[in-house]
Amino acid sequence: MTDSVRATHAPAQETAAATATATAPLISLEGIEVVYQIRKGFFRTGQVHALNDVSLEVAKGETVALVGESGSGKSTLGRVSLRLIAPARGRVVFDGQDITAAPEESLGWLRRRAQIVFQDPFSSLNPYFRVYDLIEEPLIIDGVPAEERRQRVYRALEAVDLVPAPRFASKYPTMMSGGQRQRVGIARALVRDPDYIVADEPVSMIDASSRVEILNLLRTIQTERGVSFLYITHDIASARTFADRIAVMYLGTIVEIGSAAQVIDRPLHPYTRALINAIPEPDPRNRFRHREVVPGEPPTSGAFPRGCPFFSRCPDRIPGLCDIDRPMLQEVEPGHFVACHRVTDNVASG
Amino acid sequence: MPVAKRDSAARSVLYSDGMTAPAPLLAVEDLHLHYVSGGRVVRAVDGVSFTIERRGEAVGIVGESGSGKTSLAVALMRLLPKNVVRFDGSIRLEGQDIRALSEDEFRREIRWRRIAMVFQGAMNVLNPVLKIGDQIAEPLQLDGRLSKQAIRSRVNELLVRVGLSPEFATRYPHELSGGQKQRVVLAMALVLDPDVLILDEPTSALDVSVQAQIMNLLKDLKQDPGISMIFITHDIGLASDLCDHIAVAYAGWHAEYGPAERVLLEPRHPYARLLLASLPRLRATTPPQPMPGEPPDLTNPPAGCRFHPRCPYRFAPCDTDVPPPIPIGDGGHARCWLNDPGVAGDLYLAHLKEPAGVSHD
Repeated sequence: MTDSVRATHAPAQETAAATATATAPLISLEGIEVVYQIRKGFFRTGQVHALNDVSLEVAKGETVALVGESGSGKSTLGRVSLRLIAPARGRVVFDGQDITAAPEESLGWLRRRAQIVFQDPFSSLNPYFRVYDLIEEPLIIDGVPAEERRQRVYRALEAVDLVPAPRFASKYPTMMSGGQRQRVGIARALVRDPDYIVADEPVSMIDASSRVEILNLLRTIQTERGVSFLYITHDIASARTFADRIAVMYLGTIVEIGSAAQVIDRPLHPYTRALINAIPEPDPRNRFRHREVVPGEPPTSGAFPRGCPFFSRCPDRIPGLCDIDRPMLQEVEPGHFVACHRVTDNVASG
Repeated sequence: MPVAKRDSAARSVLYSDGMTAPAPLLAVEDLHLHYVSGGRVVRAVDGVSFTIERRGEAVGIVGESGSGKTSLAVALMRLLPKNVVRFDGSIRLEGQDIRALSEDEFRREIRWRRIAMVFQGAMNVLNPVLKIGDQIAEPLQLDGRLSKQAIRSRVNELLVRVGLSPEFATRYPHELSGGQKQRVVLAMALVLDPDVLILDEPTSALDVSVQAQIMNLLKDLKQDPGISMIFITHDIGLASDLCDHIAVAYAGWHAEYGPAERVLLEPRHPYARLLLASLPRLRATTPPQPMPGEPPDLTNPPAGCRFHPRCPYRFAPCDTDVPPPIPIGDGGHARCWLNDPGVAGDLYLAHLKEPAGVSHD
């Protein structure tokens, strides 16, 4: 395996751009930086850096998983890609159009073509609306005629397997299970016939037995309609099932990106390795062994560290280098990029 | 193996040949806990049995929301809400039926002293204006038996035991990270030196890398001081990280119960089997399989086997006859007619023989 692995030293910006497939990307995020203002006490404010120079592309019909722990910036990046958050620096391009600084009132077309599915199907659906009204609402905003609205609502319900559609259309969300509610959330996104959907932890609040159905449904939508997905998750195992490529985020940066198989079978960043080691798969031998863990927890606030964001927890860190010099993404095999000064050692050790 | 702290010979069962064997540490048999809610009876725990043989063993209760796993914990701690309409069965702690104790006796002798619990989300309800050390020490101060000096050293000992330095005693909760708070909550549950610790989703609010740290700590506590655990989780993979026995809860029942090896590798209940097959795996050779149907309504569970409407293997008796816990022969049981040769005939163990779930590399 390692024979084909080759380290290059091209600048991060160029190599990140090279991850796209031959066709033009649908979404292109370049050098994104996001800083949140927070209150610190009554009069003072502080800054929390959420994203630090992140670049990512999503091709047409591609699913990219953003994997990371809370505070890694994965949800923020998803919202930047929808221009729900304007970045402090960097460029957001949707289907060739630069939307970085476009005024909100000019983004009506984007609000139709790009959708989001939220994590919590219990709080993201208005309990006083029937399912029909929930799904119809965006079409009213779009000015779609009544008869066409009805057909599209039923088609969307059928697309998410809530059949017979008229029966589910008349229900209220509280009458449905978590899995069914999440289907309503997906139907609401689908009804505008989007090109791009951000799915932000769409299965983390659903019972285990319903998760696969929802992921399979998203997969079907992707293949049948050619929709591009940004799948935001903390569960790297589900990313393997659902995504073409995986980007691993830590503290506001992408530390590793590649095909799902590359990242899971040949993880090269110490954080990716730790993330994979930490996952308990059902195996009765697990209880007889201690897991190799990285110590500590990600820092929760303040400015970005000067060097590698993972320095404070990294088992392989090189003091004097990693804490001073921020490692850039390097291509170690075609399409597989890692931001780590140790990457050549790790490639060698496989 | 850790040394028993109490004289367990005092509470032992007399065998027919006159020999005595120590009673199991905890034996739960045919436990029921029903509530009434909106005029309807919720059968949250409906005939549940399991055993913790000895100190340092852990049993996992795995189930989806509404399967009755937290209600089981509530029953064991006897923290019953007012709307309970049925609470029976036996809960034997080293042979003594603690379910039969009066509330006063239970509070004085059992709750927190012998069976303690870490509640789901407990790390988020630490008192924000009390120092960590004072929060851990509170039960000891109320107890009044230890001197101030002794309490302080006990708090320090507990902090070290859960992987924190004694300096944490003087900190406030907001100064701690999520993983550190969860360690504090564990120290609080251990303060009266319980034999059995119930853990309800103790890592669900934590990131996976921190979860792994906490699971390592729980493994240590099983070994030394030999705490027995009841580990409640929706994640069967996480249960395999700690538990010697696993019960798979479904609609108030334990659909399947037995040694971790059997339940994970050769599940005898279709629900356990399908649950394992539905998990996305890191290195799977086959894609995860969706589970058909929706979980049942506990106020109106299906007749016969509660899983039968979702079960691809159902046959004649399943929609009418309630399957009892059918013994497997390894101390475990499965509530599925396929395990009874008298009922299943040619179907006996059909569909259940091939190992499901774990692929050994």
